[in-house]
Amino acid sequence: MQSEQRYAIEELIYRSCLALDAKDYTAFLALCDADFHYAITTYSPELRREQVWLDHDRGGMQTLFTNLPRHNSDHSPITRHATVYTVEPGTDSEVNVVSALQVFRTQLDGGATELFAVGRLHDTVRLNEDGAKLARRTVRLETRQLGYGYHVPF
Amino acid sequence: MAKNAAQWDSPPTFPQTHFVDSRVYTDDAIFEEEKEKLFRPSWIIACHESEIEAPFDYRLFNHPAGVPLIVVRGDDKKVRAFYNICPHRGNTILYDPAGNAKRMTCIFHQWSFDTRGNCVDISREEQGYQKRFCKADAALREVKCEVAFGGFVWINITDNCMPLREFIGGAMDILEPYMEEPMEVFHFHKARVRTNFKLWHDTNSEFYHDFLHYFNRITGMLQPGYYERRYTPFANGHATVGSMQIQYDKYEGSKERAVGWPKMAVGGWYMVDIFPGMTYNLRTSVLRIDTAIPLGPNEVLIEFRGLGLKRDTKEERKQRVFDHNMIWGPFGRNLHEDLLAVHGQGRAMHEGTGSRWVLQGREENSTIHDEVGMRHYYAEWSRRMGRPAYDPCREGKSEPVRAAA
Repeated sequence: MQSEQRYAIEELIYRSCLALDAKDYTAFLALCDADFHYAITTYSPELRREQVWLDHDRGGMQTLFTNLPRHNSDHSPITRHATVYTVEPGTDSEVNVVSALQVFRTQLDGGATELFAVGRLHDTVRLNEDGAKLARRTVRLETRQLGYGYHVPF
Repeated sequence: MAKNAAQWDSPPTFPQTHFVDSRVYTDDAIFEEEKEKLFRPSWIIACHESEIEAPFDYRLFNHPAGVPLIVVRGDDKKVRAFYNICPHRGNTILYDPAGNAKRMTCIFHQWSFDTRGNCVDISREEQGYQKRFCKADAALREVKCEVAFGGFVWINITDNCMPLREFIGGAMDILEPYMEEPMEVFHFHKARVRTNFKLWHDTNSEFYHDFLHYFNRITGMLQPGYYERRYTPFANGHATVGSMQIQYDKYEGSKERAVGWPKMAVGGWYMVDIFPGMTYNLRTSVLRIDTAIPLGPNEVLIEFRGLGLKRDTKEERKQRVFDHNMIWGPFGRNLHEDLLAVHGQGRAMHEGTGSRWVLQGREENSTIHDEVGMRHYYAEWSRRMGRPAYDPCREGKSEPVRAAA
């Protein structure tokens, strides 16, 4: 893989975090391909089975983002810290990217920051003439206790 | 006009059954007493039978009164429960929250136990104990355990407790027709929240807070039949909420829950609140179970389960998981709102904040915005604690909980 491609892929991952951190959902979806799919999954040692906690296509994500302002939510900002670990060839023009993810939450009152969740991003990135686009994202959470929770996907 | 200190501290003008002193949510001594008088004698849901399906499958559960438990299916397929405490040196026997163990062996000195609670091995038994102590003296402490009401594993750590069927009474009659088919847990997570466990149960005991939920306003409150839903109280502090037809397709991104639930009308929704901190919540197409485990007066760990049918096809299960996650998942619309609300109560109501009274005064002929569910809960709380919830710090004598047996 050429270093320019690797750079474009890493920048895509990081820009996706920046867009979601800023709750700029238009910018986030602009980074996603037309058939984008998003999921949050985790393994439950208590049930000894896989769990899906969120599962949407691009339209579902758009609807989710449209609905969120209608709901009562925690307004504390969260900050996603991603580090791209591996970039490996997938099928055709796709590459599979695994990144470490840490999510921090900062309280509005006083600004105290706490670690909210850890996990990994398993992304499929499609490379075409327009550049790099997210085709699939699975947020694989290690953290399963999220306190009173959060509405915005990681 | 805003109130001064005296006005703020004065009891509400409702009947005394229609408000509680907020110290029931904040006081350390009351909390310790609750563990003994509310939780220790009560039947509590530890897990579901689908979590321990095979012989030797086990599941750990921390009882709200503080006791660590092992729930295990024996070689005879019977489900039993034991203290997760080694009788030798008081160590934890099993560490992983679930697994399969033909022998439950304490890592400390390798004492080993079978799924019936018998000690089957003591390392170098005769050399150390000669004839003074043997495996028969080292059995595990067993607690009462029954599988009932939808295949849930109920445990009671008090040996002379009232029978489970008597404890529940008729509270589960409304749900039992819908729990005849085997179910399976597909979702489990815990939420630790800085609030009192009763505040979570209060939220499950009143629907006036549907104003909190955009989803519920759109799909329920604005739809026909909403204000006809009724509460029914039952002995021992339990209560049920009757159904209506939820219009799931009114919420953008949602649709009618076509996957359905056996015998249940499309869009049906029943709830059963079980004293002192459990809730069955059956919305087409998912059963949710909440189990509150208090950690302190202002901290609770809530276990959330989502269940479908064991016979689900892959497609049906996927739809149930989607329906569950839409409102009840960790990123779901309603659960975060509910948890945020009780977190807010915990912020405003812990020791020293000046919080004084909590109102439960709404009377609407036991329909959906009536607060009779909460009043009924605190009537049982008062009976068990021996003084009224509106005056919880006065001396009192609780009624024996076995009195109804």
